[in-house]
Amino acid sequence: MQISTRQSGTSTIVDVVGDIDLYNSPEIRKVLLENIRDKRVPRIIINLKEVRYIDSSGVASLVEGLKVSRNMSSRFILFGLSPAAREVLELSRLIKVFEVYENEDQALAAT
Amino acid sequence: MSAAAQTTPAANDAMISIRDLRVSYGSREILHGISFDIRRDETMVILGGSGSGKSTLLRTLVGLEKASSGEIWIRGKNMASATAADKEELRKRLGMSFQGGALFGSMTVGENVALPLREHTQLDDDTIRIMVRLKLDQVGLSGFENYKPSQLSGGMKKRAAVARAIAMDPEILFFDEPSAGLDPVIAAGIDNLIVKLKRAFRMTIVVVTHEMASAFIIADRMVLVDKGHIVALGTPQELQTSTHPRVRQFMDRIAEPEVHKEMDYLQMLTDGNED
Amino acid sequence: MATLDAIGRGTIDTFAYVGGLARLAGRAAYYVFVAPFKGRPLRIERAFHQGMAVGVEALPIVSLITFFVGLILALNGAYELRKFGALQFVASAVAISMTRELGPLMTAIVVIGRSGSAFAAEIGTMKVTEEIDALETMALHPIQFLVTPKFLAMLFMMPCLTIWADFMGICGGLIFGITSADFTVAGYFQATLDALYKRDIFTGLIKSVMFGITITAVGCYEGFSTGAGAEEVGRSTTSAVVMSIFLVIIVDVIFTALFYFTGA
Repeated sequence: MQISTRQSGTSTIVDVVGDIDLYNSPEIRKVLLENIRDKRVPRIIINLKEVRYIDSSGVASLVEGLKVSRNMSSRFILFGLSPAAREVLELSRLIKVFEVYENEDQALAAT
Repeated sequence: MSAAAQTTPAANDAMISIRDLRVSYGSREILHGISFDIRRDETMVILGGSGSGKSTLLRTLVGLEKASSGEIWIRGKNMASATAADKEELRKRLGMSFQGGALFGSMTVGENVALPLREHTQLDDDTIRIMVRLKLDQVGLSGFENYKPSQLSGGMKKRAAVARAIAMDPEILFFDEPSAGLDPVIAAGIDNLIVKLKRAFRMTIVVVTHEMASAFIIADRMVLVDKGHIVALGTPQELQTSTHPRVRQFMDRIAEPEVHKEMDYLQMLTDGNED
Repeated sequence: MATLDAIGRGTIDTFAYVGGLARLAGRAAYYVFVAPFKGRPLRIERAFHQGMAVGVEALPIVSLITFFVGLILALNGAYELRKFGALQFVASAVAISMTRELGPLMTAIVVIGRSGSAFAAEIGTMKVTEEIDALETMALHPIQFLVTPKFLAMLFMMPCLTIWADFMGICGGLIFGITSADFTVAGYFQATLDALYKRDIFTGLIKSVMFGITITAVGCYEGFSTGAGAEEVGRSTTSAVVMSIFLVIIVDVIFTALFYFTGA
């Protein structure tokens, strides 16, 4: 799995490539918390287009990111969920908790 | 069997392949050469009466008993020739729910679920806490995180045990007698949980039970084990319509016929008496 | 023939038992000394909890018992010493018997009763309720998880308890000394210090470490050999206590003889 961040206007986009599992989700968590808590970015967008599978530790890391961004009153947006990833979020009844968009343009345009 | 030792002997959709498996306790052989496959993403129910060897089969599959001969292939790896590190890696991908729950009495429910995550991963405590709550929610035990196992009812203990078994998102989930010792309503709840987990996580599920009713609810396929042999293997419909006498006996819940010769019986009762 | 047969069998069983203990202790030692370098960190916090249960919570009863043992030693010693008008040697008699023998031994007996039995009961119960199996299926090694912390706790706590036991025993002797042998408190302690050599204390501490290893190995071994059923837990707890006392005495004999003949 690889993570990189880029800037688009006021939005920070985190591109994740590869499956998210027990062994690499600490990395994602670190990147998310760094940006939200330390850099205090106003709007963080997670690109999951290249993520086929996300396990419960990945879900937990996203939940943590969402919670921290709420506390910092920043936006936390997901886009590009694979069917499997979407299903995992649906089953944990979290799909409605997150702000989810189809693609990057929608995510950037979201107000 | 020598040719089969080189590669996986089964079709490639097999998660677990068992070939001519024999298991003995001391000099007593419990399983006399069992062969079948468990496919990826199916729920396989191992049915059998008490003493049939079904629990031994399960314990051997999860590596708690040693096979005296034969092969077990899991995810394309032969367990007999796997290194200790391979086996350990594999065990992290297995979940097992024990008959009595086997929760650690000295820990809370939450700590029980968190244990494999704490021991095997570098996840942060905050992440683990969220995961524990997700798992407990999935088995319908939200809010019981800080209870001790002794404070839970039998059905809740089983649910907590399932939460612990799925803590690491296993690929294969094993159940030993999931409905044993539970009243019918609670048992039905556990059956529903198994069905839900399978649908939700696409896990391969292996269930050992003697409860016909629950077997028919959860099984994609079932295998009937009797006296250490496989009697029948097939879908629930196939077993339902089977004409094999032993299968019929099990399906129709016919008691074992009692064969007594009158004089033998008299002899047995009076054995050791003075004339 | 039958007698020879029984003796032979008994000998083999004894060696098998001791071999089992040694293997268990060896495996536990592996997880302390080798495994941490292979990416299996040592969990100190579990050892710490065990240490509290084994050592700190045993302090009151160890104190009480060894205090009275010290007093008894003084009384018995005085009974004989008085005949020679050598009552002032009561302090050194108590000091040497406590540090070389009774401090470690009485501590061991108390620890067997409190912790050796508890180890067997804990592991035995976990065996019966399939918790040991559960550990294995979770790729957690029961020995690393359960036994290693107990060894660590015992290796640290037994000498600590023993030192305290030595001190309490001497205090017991002191009570006799000042009430019936015309000692002052300072005088009694001075007499004690004069009588003791470093090696008296060290030999006692070496014994206490050996006792600790024995008690832990027997308690855990009996726990793991528990069969099916709740009554089996009672059986293994009982035999843990009996076997521990027996083996502690054997170890005591061996080391006392060793110290005697090497002049330590």
